[in-house]
Amino acid sequence: MRMRLPSGVFYQTYRQDQALWPTTFVKLRMWGLLVFLFVIFPQIASPYWLSLANLVGYTILSAMGVQLLIGYTGQVTLGHAAFIAAGAYTCAVLVLQYHVPYPLAFLAAMIVAGLWSMLFGLPSARVKGFYLIMTTMAAQFITVDFIITQYVSRIGERGHSFSLPPGTLSIGPWVIQSDRDIYYLMIALVTLSVLAMTNLARTRIGRAWMAIRDHDIAAEALGINIVAYKLLAFFMAGVFGGVAGAFWIANLYAVSPEHFTWSWSLWLVGVILIGGLGSNYGTIFGSLFMTLVMEALRNIVTWLTPFFPSLETSFLFVKEAAFGLAIILFLLYEPNGLAYRWWQIKNYIHLWPFSYE
Amino acid sequence: MDSPPVILQVEGIFLTFGGVMALNGVSLAVRHGEIFSIIGPNGAGKTSLLNCINGLYRPQRGRILFNGQDITRLPAHRRARMGIARTFQKTELFKNMTVLDNVRLGRHIHMKTNLLDALIYWGRAEWEELAHRAFIEEEILDLLEIGHLRHRVVGMLPYGLQKRVDLARALALEPRLLLLDEPMAGLNLEEVEDMARFILEINENPRWGVTCVLVEHDMGVVMDLSHRVAVLNFGNKIAEGPPEEIQNNPVVIQAYLGEEAAYATRR
Repeated sequence: MRMRLPSGVFYQTYRQDQALWPTTFVKLRMWGLLVFLFVIFPQIASPYWLSLANLVGYTILSAMGVQLLIGYTGQVTLGHAAFIAAGAYTCAVLVLQYHVPYPLAFLAAMIVAGLWSMLFGLPSARVKGFYLIMTTMAAQFITVDFIITQYVSRIGERGHSFSLPPGTLSIGPWVIQSDRDIYYLMIALVTLSVLAMTNLARTRIGRAWMAIRDHDIAAEALGINIVAYKLLAFFMAGVFGGVAGAFWIANLYAVSPEHFTWSWSLWLVGVILIGGLGSNYGTIFGSLFMTLVMEALRNIVTWLTPFFPSLETSFLFVKEAAFGLAIILFLLYEPNGLAYRWWQIKNYIHLWPFSYE
Repeated sequence: MDSPPVILQVEGIFLTFGGVMALNGVSLAVRHGEIFSIIGPNGAGKTSLLNCINGLYRPQRGRILFNGQDITRLPAHRRARMGIARTFQKTELFKNMTVLDNVRLGRHIHMKTNLLDALIYWGRAEWEELAHRAFIEEEILDLLEIGHLRHRVVGMLPYGLQKRVDLARALALEPRLLLLDEPMAGLNLEEVEDMARFILEINENPRWGVTCVLVEHDMGVVMDLSHRVAVLNFGNKIAEGPPEEIQNNPVVIQAYLGEEAAYATRR
């Protein structure tokens, strides 16, 4: 039983109090959202909106691992694209070279990316802060610029890039060809990843990560093996990176190292800073905001090009400048990110019209 | 009288920071079921000693035995698993988390959820979360009278209540030995009395029966609660015994009040 009184909702069991979706209203809202995302949106959206949604989904999947490391565990990482690349290349090599079915290659990509990330997480046992940032940057350059560019890309004499024409990948009888197919794959993966992250955060593992983030000495005194949990965090972040990479090759005509640059690592950190640290809302809002704002900018530039022909060529710079400006503005005016604003709006609606406690 | 077995034995601990001698060959033995207090002037090495027992510092020489087992080389998290919990002088709580989450972290060593259970949640992880929630609510929050604060963020609570949450978190480990680092510091009279009541309850109630090592400056509390008291001064143990004996020990009075005062009391 749950009691609904004018003063609020009161729970009578611990199960209700700990439920993910505690009230009927929240349940309806979330199921409605899922129905929209899984059924309605792919039916009504044009290919343009579908491909945009896929980009948002890819950003969410990519930022999930960064959020886990920075937002939940407090280990700053600037090389996450390396683990996305590890996932993408593992999957691509297995599918193209060894003809492994896509789902199996996908799982292998998750594990390889996770272990690869754990390897570069080892220094976190000894170093913190700036020094850890340097080691994660090393992960980026060693993985993408050295190992993948020099060695992995040359497997099978394919030249620089791995060609993956649409229809190469299939799950059982389902061939992933159109943007709509990719959308279905994306939305399923995003839902599962968000669910996995939520579940981690509400059990002992996620709590141990947050304890390490907030106060590692107290965490150690409570019996938390800090090194083991940091490595576990790097492993899981790598697994999420592997999911992102293995998914994204479905959307690419060809995989090449240029898809996993250091600026993509940096971009992902910007996404979670703007979205908000330490929550799934942060990852999702950040990805939506960054992707849609950049797309709007591109549209504005395209629209203005007839009047200012030089704009077209300088769009790249406009994009970078907007990224920098957005981060500065958010750090100044909304340091807790969009997720915090969302929480405030929800609170305001909850408490209205008596907005005091 | 038959004395109960020793739970914690500290043998000749040396600890230096650079050239500063923090602990100079300190030895002591804490028996099962005791409240053992460590007092001494500021900088005497009391907190350093707790940190050595707890595993946050590693002494250069000496041994620490817990239930007869040598734990000198074990990391702090292993010692917590063996049953050594502590509270901190300046409440090192997770300030952005709720009271409940802080205490849940105290249950960490008793939970078994692995990565796969956690990812799936439904089933074993959920069952475990609910079981521990019931334990926290009914055994710990009720005992320490902070049940009504369960969903409050710790950083927003007044200091006295934060101290209580710190105790709750340590108690959630269900320790055999509890190290209390100045639990009364910064509390008002009423809060001190509450805290003393909780410590006695934890120590005397057979449900808990926790042996306590208490570092404290409030002499009234120390003399009322402790079974035995050890006095540290400049890293040396200068006295040990029951409270009445310590109160009248001229060496202790000298360490606390200085040469002339000691002379005055002796007269």
